[in-house]
Amino acid sequence: MRETRLWSLHILVLPIIAVLLGMHFAVMHYAPVFYGMSVDKAREFSTMIERGKSVTQLVLYILLLAAALYHGLYGLRGIIRELPLTPVLVKVVDAGIITFGLFIFAFGTYVTWWTFSYKIGG
Amino acid sequence: MNSNKPTAYNNRLGIKGWVYAGRYTFERYLYLGHRVSGLGLIAYMVLHIIETANRMRGVEAWQGLMALFASWPFKIIEYLLFAMAVFHAMNGVRLLVTELGFFLGKPREPVYPYSTSIKRHRPLTFVIMGLAAMIIILGGSSLFFP
Repeated sequence: MRETRLWSLHILVLPIIAVLLGMHFAVMHYAPVFYGMSVDKAREFSTMIERGKSVTQLVLYILLLAAALYHGLYGLRGIIRELPLTPVLVKVVDAGIITFGLFIFAFGTYVTWWTFSYKIGG
Repeated sequence: MNSNKPTAYNNRLGIKGWVYAGRYTFERYLYLGHRVSGLGLIAYMVLHIIETANRMRGVEAWQGLMALFASWPFKIIEYLLFAMAVFHAMNGVRLLVTELGFFLGKPREPVYPYSTSIKRHRPLTFVIMGLAAMIIILGGSSLFFP
């Protein structure tokens, strides 16, 4: 049952990833098409900070981070667990992936928060 | 007789089993591509989080990094990443659709010549992969001509 839940969650996060990654692509790579702004301008420090100060962006980026990390690391776990591992190693893999995922999530969240709370000219 | 001897259909071939596990079909290559692209994307995602944290080092560090990403080698890497993301997403749609039981046809008596579910959903596979190729060519080209 636990595995079914984990698998289901890995599928359920897909719409979140599809929409939010699409938005990320639109902002960062297709700015000329969607915002009438050059890619260089979209990637400028000031533009990036301006975008990052929005609460909506803060929430959506953290959500995308969580969803994409979960989906990706769940897939990685599945691939590693196909290898001939002992039950102890399986537990080590699970613990390692959870620790790694939480660390990257915390780091990504911190960077997003840093951008959100950046004081312009300060 | 050693009954534990690995066979082509043994589920415990490990990475060797990815590379060759018997007679391959088109879907088997898609499976391999899905895995390779998935691993590439998760590796990139982690690097992307670390690399964008460069903003905390200030304006110059950020602009220097962006100038590096605007160079041709990085544009090619960016295009490959885009292609991997599109392929992974579109193949994922195919997997999800078949996982939910669509495009597999009704169960039939196994009468020779056999019609497998893979063969039955192959038209869908070709349509989805055709769409993926179109998105990769059309959508990705704009990365080179901003």
